[in-house]
Formats: sequence, structure tokens, C-alpha cells
Amino acid sequence: MTSTLVLPWVALVLVVFVAGSIWRAWRYARAPMHLRWDLYPVAHEPAPRRDHGGSYLEEREWWTRPRERSLLGEAVFMAEEILFLKGVRANNRRLWWGSFPFHWGLYLLVLTTVGIFLGVAGWRLPLDSGLLSLGALTGGGLVLAGSVILLVLRSTDPKLRPYTAPVDRLNLLFLALFGALCVGVAVRYGLGHVVTVLSGVLRGHEVRVGRLLAAQMAVGGLFLMYMPFTRMVHFFAKYFTYHDVRWDDTPMEPGSPLADRLAAALNYGVDWSAGHVRTGKTWAEVATTLPDEEKGGKA
Amino acid sequence: MENAPRPASREELNRFLTEHEGVDPRRLVPLPFPYEDWEDAPIPELSEDKRSRIEVGPDGVAAAQIKVPADDEERDRRVAAFLEGLAKLFTKENNWTFLQPLMLSMENCVKCQTCAEACPIYTGSGRMEAYRPTFRAEVLRKIVNRYLKPGGRILPGLRGNDVELSWDVLVSLAELSYRCTLCRRCAQTCPVGVDNALITREIRKLFSQELGIAMPELHETGTIKQLTVGSSTGLNPAGLADIMEFAEEDIQEKTGLDITMPFDVEGAEYLVMHNAGEFLSWPENLQAFAIILELAGVSWTLSSELVGYDSVNYGLFYDDVQYSRIALKHYEVARKLGVRKMMVGECGHAHKALMPIADRLIPEQLRVRTESCLVVLEDIVVNEKILLDPSRNDFPVTLHDPCNITRSMGIVEPQRKILRKIAPRFREMEPHGVHNYCCGGGSGFAICQSMNFPDWRTRVSGRLKFRQILEAFSDCIEPETPKYVCAPCSNCKGQMRDLLNYYEAWDRCGILYGGLVELIVNAMVDVREGFVEWEMH
Ligand code: SF4
Ligand code: SF4
Repeated sequence: MTSTLVLPWVALVLVVFVAGSIWRAWRYARAPMHLRWDLYPVAHEPAPRRDHGGSYLEEREWWTRPRERSLLGEAVFMAEEILFLKGVRANNRRLWWGSFPFHWGLYLLVLTTVGIFLGVAGWRLPLDSGLLSLGALTGGGLVLAGSVILLVLRSTDPKLRPYTAPVDRLNLLFLALFGALCVGVAVRYGLGHVVTVLSGVLRGHEVRVGRLLAAQMAVGGLFLMYMPFTRMVHFFAKYFTYHDVRWDDTPMEPGSPLADRLAAALNYGVDWSAGHVRTGKTWAEVATTLPDEEKGGKA
Repeated sequence: MENAPRPASREELNRFLTEHEGVDPRRLVPLPFPYEDWEDAPIPELSEDKRSRIEVGPDGVAAAQIKVPADDEERDRRVAAFLEGLAKLFTKENNWTFLQPLMLSMENCVKCQTCAEACPIYTGSGRMEAYRPTFRAEVLRKIVNRYLKPGGRILPGLRGNDVELSWDVLVSLAELSYRCTLCRRCAQTCPVGVDNALITREIRKLFSQELGIAMPELHETGTIKQLTVGSSTGLNPAGLADIMEFAEEDIQEKTGLDITMPFDVEGAEYLVMHNAGEFLSWPENLQAFAIILELAGVSWTLSSELVGYDSVNYGLFYDDVQYSRIALKHYEVARKLGVRKMMVGECGHAHKALMPIADRLIPEQLRVRTESCLVVLEDIVVNEKILLDPSRNDFPVTLHDPCNITRSMGIVEPQRKILRKIAPRFREMEPHGVHNYCCGGGSGFAICQSMNFPDWRTRVSGRLKFRQILEAFSDCIEPETPKYVCAPCSNCKGQMRDLLNYYEAWDRCGILYGGLVELIVNAMVDVREGFVEWEMH
């Protein structure tokens, strides 16, 4: 691979990955206000209420009390989930043996990539190339090991196998290959070389890119471009499932932005077809009319 | 215990959708002493005649009572209508109410099956595949990916979009949406935050709002009846007056107290919202509320207005339109009366319908603040606004946590503080609080008394709850010691009644059920002793 392809490729990967992720997150973020669907325990409830899964609704005249939210509670919950995969560990230990190394491998590779970019930008300490190589080696190794374990579990475990499509196995194979290539690059060239190659490319120099590194960049890039369009975005979708749904306990207050969003939603037109709905009206109209007036209540 | 057969492959998984396999009673979760030798009869099959009219689910059970289509043309029409409805489910105009949570749950499940072991129906049944929390969600996901997404039909096998839509598949999907109590225990364990209960509810909603298919007890004799007659029990204002008169006489006779049921008192502090099922099946609950509130000096009223005297809102379980109509009506009644607040009685789904869910629906001009009765009662009991003698409740008591009040609202401690104060032999079930097991009657199941669904409900969806009850009382299981399962929810009580009757728990173990207020009144010094009547009803 000639180095002239490196820059456009990295740029393309970054653009597709970032745009895809933003598009995906945007779809969730711009969805209309929904009815509440809290699920307890809610991590931002202050202790000791949080410990028994309680909410502010346990308080007499709850609307007169100041609302306390423990950001620390949320932070601790998220940290335990991200660092230890606590939920999977508690409820699905078998899978955790694959999932835990796999996720940690990815974290290390992300950190290593950040390190590479910082190195290219001229930062030195603490981005010693040995440290970066170690990151790529362990990260890649863990991704490889984790993907293989997950692949084996998904192919043999009777509760996972029927819910695993060929494409899921291909994804894992792809990730295993990527992990192996990361290990290969770290062993073959060392990450200092990667920083040098990228720096050279950025400065417009013609640099030789080894086959292994080219393969690693190709596979990694393809994966990154594909990821935002799959369920692998759960790393940020999880932000929405927690903050916007199960922990979303904000009560409606008069004149609040929520009240405005409700007013907008009540003006949406409804065209469900069952007889009792009285289609073709707005939500406000439908909700204030009885079902039996035109169709005898028969659905 | 041997588990139900598992599919060996993805291809085989779809077999569980269309090929019928009934619940095998030998695989149900075993029960402890004195039920080691208990044998469950198989769930009866529907008669030939019924089968010719009503579709059944892949387990041979009928809840939604879907009419068998007259011909292929009707079948095709309904399949096409389903697809139209499915598309509407993903538009903000038709589904602003749950679009965001639905998208998140549909698009991010990693199929790790972490949720499966949390489900009382899946585990209680001996792990029947069709009851796995992800099973029905996966079917819907495959249909969406294949039929709604651009390019969905390209390489469907490779991508796992391998469910081919047909009338039989739709029947299974609709029926299976009534094999989940929407208890959300599975959602608590999902590492991604996916909620299979929400997906199940959306399936019910799509069938109801687009095709008019829903469990009749929820729709025709549920929300439709409530909106037209005034209550899903069929109780009209004249019947209500009779019941209240009887309640006043009964209170006089049982307790020696003269209490008048207050109706339509304008400007009262509280409008008390009861599930009208209490009036007919458990009038002692209504009476106990009246006694406590009167003796504690609370200003309260009931409403005699249509819909206003029944806190039930079954729309919560299957239909956003019906839900909205009833919720608005409830708030309209309270607003018109000019009460300061509403208090929700012992009904779990009414709590959720009137409080967190209504919170994002009721416009400002109709808003009335609403509290749980458990919080008000805690204040009365713990702060000794009534005189109590806990020794009157000197029998084993355990607490059932209604999912809607605990897991979906976080009201966990008030009821416990009360029990710790009035029931010296109170003990918890395991697990409890926000991690409780559903009674098995949630999401409308408790009111479904037709076809072979009640047989399924007592054997399968209530199985783990019954096991928990036995375990909680294992130190005093002999029938000579009367024991009390406190279930502060009308629907849970309906399920308790059926469960305890089916397992003959009163005769075999002396286990009875009832509400929380009955226990409070039973301990009140100003009331004649013996408010709790130890007979199965
Ligand atoms: S719903 Fe959650 S726990 Fe269940 S399979 Fe999907 S991601 Fe896993
Ligand atoms: S909501 Fe409850 S009954 Fe339904 S799948 Fe989840 S755990 Fe099972």
C-alpha cells in the first residue's frame, strides 16, 4: 500500500464514523417527548432512598420538596458498568468471561488510537512508543481473545445460538481479525513506527506502509465505518436508554419546556385505523372524544 | 426439573412461532413443602367449536380471542393492515408517546440473553422458548428489518431477518404479547437498557390501534365499558349508591362506627380514587379506607361521576388512545370537584396510570396533584394519627409488591414502615421491593377469566409468586397458623385469590390474602376486634 492512500482513507473513515454516529444519536435525541417510563432503582436518587430503589414519590406532597439528584450516584453506576460490566457479571457470568476482555480490549485500543493521534500531533510524554505498543498488544490481544470466546459461545451455547445470525458471527470474526492485526502491528513494527508513518504522511512525505499495517488500517477502518449502522452503537445508545428513559423522572412543571413539547405533541394528527380511535383528528381531539359516538365502541 | 426443548438453531427457532407446543406441567418450576407431590393437570385445550372460531397462540392458549378469518382474502387484508400499523408505530405523529423508547429498544438489543433468567414466566414455565423475554421482541425486530427497512429483503438469511410474515405468525405474535405481564423485571437486568416489556406493550398497541385486536377484558368489557357505562365492572351511579349504603351499614355492624361515605364534596383535600373492583369483590377495602381517613381527620371525598368512581385505566396495558381518554376523564372529574389533591387507592396500575404516565399527558388546565395512598397512610400510621394495637395482628404477614408501584414508581418503603409498625410477625419475600416477582396477574391478566387463560395464569405466570409465598411462610406453613399475604393492589388481589384457590392454599397451609388498609384497621384500638375475617373469598 502506498502512503498516498493513507490520508484519504483515514479521513474517509473518520468522516463516515463521526457522521454515522451523529446521525444515529441525532435520531434518538430529536425524537419527540415520550410518556414517562421510569424503572427503579434510579441511580440519581439520593442515598439512602437509592439503596432500596425508592423515588421522590415516597415523599408526602412530593411536589413541594426540592428535587435532589445525586450525580455521583449516576457516575458510580456508569463507571461500574463501563469498567466492570457489572450487570452482565451479576446476571450472565458465562458471557461476561468473553464480553469483559472484549470490551477492555476495545477500551485499550481506543486509548492507544488517541495516543497515536497525540503522538502525531507532536505530544511526547507520556506517549512513549513502548506504552503505545503495549496498549495495542494487550488491547488487540484482548479483542482477539474476547471475540473468539464470544464466537464460541454464540455458536455453541444453546441459549445464544438460535439468536445469532450469520452476520453476527461475521462481525465477531472481523473483530477477531482486527485484534490479531493489532497484535501483529505491535509485534512487527512497534507503535512508534505507526506514529512515524502517520506523521510522515501528514507532512506529505512518501512513506512505505508495511502490508500488515495496511491490512490493519483497512480492516479497522471498514469496521469503524460500518459500526454506526449496527447495534454496536449501544455504547452511546445506552446513554439514551438510561438518561432519557429509565432514569427520566422529571415531573412536568407549568411553563416548562416539557409543557411546550406536550402542547406540540397533542396537536399531532392521528391516523390509526381501528374503529375506536376516530382517526384523522389530532391527539387532543381523539383523547377528548368517546369511542362509541360513531362506531358503537366496536373496534 | 427438566427444561423445555430448546431450538438448536436459528431456523428451528421459528418453529416455536408457528408449531404448537403446550405447556408441559411436569416442567413447571417445582414447589416446596407441602407441595412436593402436587400435580398440575395440563392446561385444557379449547373445544373444537371454539377452535373453529377463535385463534390460539403457539402454546394452545387464547387470551386475545382473535376471530378466525373467514377466508384467505381476509387473512391477507389483516396482514397488510398489520404492516401499515407497524409503519405507524415508528412515526412521531402516531406514536410520540413511546417512539424514542421503542426505537432504542428495537435497535440496540445485543441478544446476550442476560434478561432471560429474570423472567418469572420464562423460568416458571420450565424455560419455554416462546416465553423468553426476547422471543417476541425478536420476531417483531425481524419483521421490521425485513419489511420496513430499505433493502430489508436483501440476504435476509445472512442478516437474520428470517421471519416470513403470515397470518399464523401474526396470531402467534399477538397471543405471545399476552404471555408477558409487562412486569419489567427483565428490563432491570438488561445491560444495554433495552425493555422487552415496552416492546410487548407496543405489539399489543399496534394490534389494538390498527386492527382492533385486544384482550376483550381489556377492551370491550374494559376501557370501552368504562368510558360508556362509567366503570369496567359495569357499575353505574345508581349501583354505586347502593354499594355505599351497604358499606355504611356494614361498617356500623362490624366496627360500631357511624361513618357516612362522602360523595362529591367540593373543595375536599383529597379525591380518593378506588379501583371499582374493590366495591364488588373486596368491599372491606373501601370500608377500611373510610374508617382510617375519618378517624385520622382527613378531608376526603369520592366521586359519583362516570369514570370518576373507578380509578381503573386498562388503556395503560394495551392502547394509548384509550389510556389517554380515561386519564383525561379522571383529571377532569378531580378538577371539576375542586379538590386539592387526588389520592390513589390500593391499585398498582392506577398508581402508574394516574401518576408518572399521566404526568406527561395532562394539560395544565386539568392538572391536579396526585399522591399514593401508601404515602398518606404511612403518615397516619407512623405519626400515630390513629390509635393502634399491633398485638391484634399477631400472625405471620408477608408483603407482595405490585410491580407498578415499586419497579415502575419507586414507592417501596412507606408500605414497609406501616407493616413494621402494625404487624409484629411481618417477614419479606425474597426477592422483594423493586426486584419482586409479579403476582402473575399483571397487565390485565388478573381480570381475564375466559377460555383457558385462567388455567395458564395460575399454573405458569403465578407459579414463582406462589413459591415465594410458601417460602416466606416456611417456618409456620401448617394450616393451623393463619397467615396473611398483604397485597396492596386490586389486580394483584384478584390474582392472589385465583392462585390461592387453585393451589388450595387456605386448606393446606392456612394462607389468606388481603389489602394493607384491612390490616391497619384490624389493629385500630377504636374499632371492634376482628376486622380481618379469616375466610377465603
Ligand atoms: S434485551 Fe438486553 S439483556 Fe436481553 S438479550 Fe437484549 S441486550 Fe441482552
Ligand atoms: S416484562 Fe416480566 S413477564 Fe414480560 S418478559 Fe419481562 S420479565 Fe417476563
